[in-house]
Amino acid sequence: MTRPPGTHLSPDEIDSWLSGTLAREWQQHLDQCQSCLERARAERDIVDQISALPRLGPAAGFADHVMAAVAVPDPFAIRSLQATRRRLFATRRSLAVAASLTLLLLGSMAGSVAWSLAHQETIASLGNWLLSESGQFAWLSLRGLASNLIEQPWYSSIRSLLENPIRLAVGSALASAVYFGGVLVLRRLLALPTQQVAHAGI
Amino acid sequence: MSSVRQEWGSLTDQEVVLLARSGQETAYRELIRRYERPVFALLFRMVRDRELAEDLAQETFVKALNAIESYRPEFKFSSWIFKIGNNAAIDHLRRRELDTLSLDGSPHAETPEAMQATALQIGARQESPLDTVEAKELGGAIEAAIGALRPEYRSCILLRHVEGRPYEEIAEILNLPLGTVKTYIHRARNELREALAHLKE
Repeated sequence: MTRPPGTHLSPDEIDSWLSGTLAREWQQHLDQCQSCLERARAERDIVDQISALPRLGPAAGFADHVMAAVAVPDPFAIRSLQATRRRLFATRRSLAVAASLTLLLLGSMAGSVAWSLAHQETIASLGNWLLSESGQFAWLSLRGLASNLIEQPWYSSIRSLLENPIRLAVGSALASAVYFGGVLVLRRLLALPTQQVAHAGI
Repeated sequence: MSSVRQEWGSLTDQEVVLLARSGQETAYRELIRRYERPVFALLFRMVRDRELAEDLAQETFVKALNAIESYRPEFKFSSWIFKIGNNAAIDHLRRRELDTLSLDGSPHAETPEAMQATALQIGARQESPLDTVEAKELGGAIEAAIGALRPEYRSCILLRHVEGRPYEEIAEILNLPLGTVKTYIHRARNELREALAHLKE
């Protein structure tokens, strides 16, 4: 009790009274002061009413709705990560090996970035050379393919077929008929059964 | 089933969180089971709309459980989940306040009735028949009086006297100084007393 006697109870002291921890001196004041007693009782009345409010709950299936939107981590992945971590920190030697490898990796990455920045012209000329060489290679491959095709024995017969429009039309019609026939057969094979199927055990 | 429940019951929130982090779905469900009612009850009394409260509660749990790795075990799990829920409710109430703010009614309103219907609405929003049904479900005069409190006062008083949280935890949940929390709770109780005294008269 820090305040002089005779003053009324502060809200903090009323709180203490509500929780049953009011100091004895203030309890004595409360027993004698009608004004403080009325205030304290009014507060208790409000608190009782609030505390008696019903405990509401969400609709059934709430947890399922929540879980449908929650990504639960894969226990196997976590376990293997934890095992790796345990193995890594198991001995000083394993930790030293891991640290050296990390340093080597980071060092080589940093070295490569630094070298690239210092030799930008070399990288650009190398890129140009690679581009021109690959273009030339692609063109030579295409020419080789074409000359191989022309030298084939069936090439002349295909060419004569393409030169005659009637033969071309007949050939196309035949190819289309074969294609659509194949599609129809596949559809029949893949169609779902329309007949009722009994479910075992249900 | 009851023995499983008993096993979970012996674990602290922090231990359940550790199991959830190791990928146990049942641990997630246990956290939901422990806090679905208190979080929903707080949100329902904050927004006074069952469907909306369910949506906000769902949003709260999804946000919390998807970020379970970022939860720091030195703090109470209850503080963390209530904080996320309370922020969701306050954000919603602020958005709703902005949505209802229009000064002279819609410029597209052609009749005086339409102008009046879309005009500036300040203070307590009008309760629809659905709201009335929900107010009944919520209870009597005390619920209505709590519903009329400022959102900050409402959070404080509900956390203190419905959820029974200590002042320190409420300060942590609402990110407020301890003294402010105490002041809010005393003011809220005063307002409730006045509102209920008026009803008694």
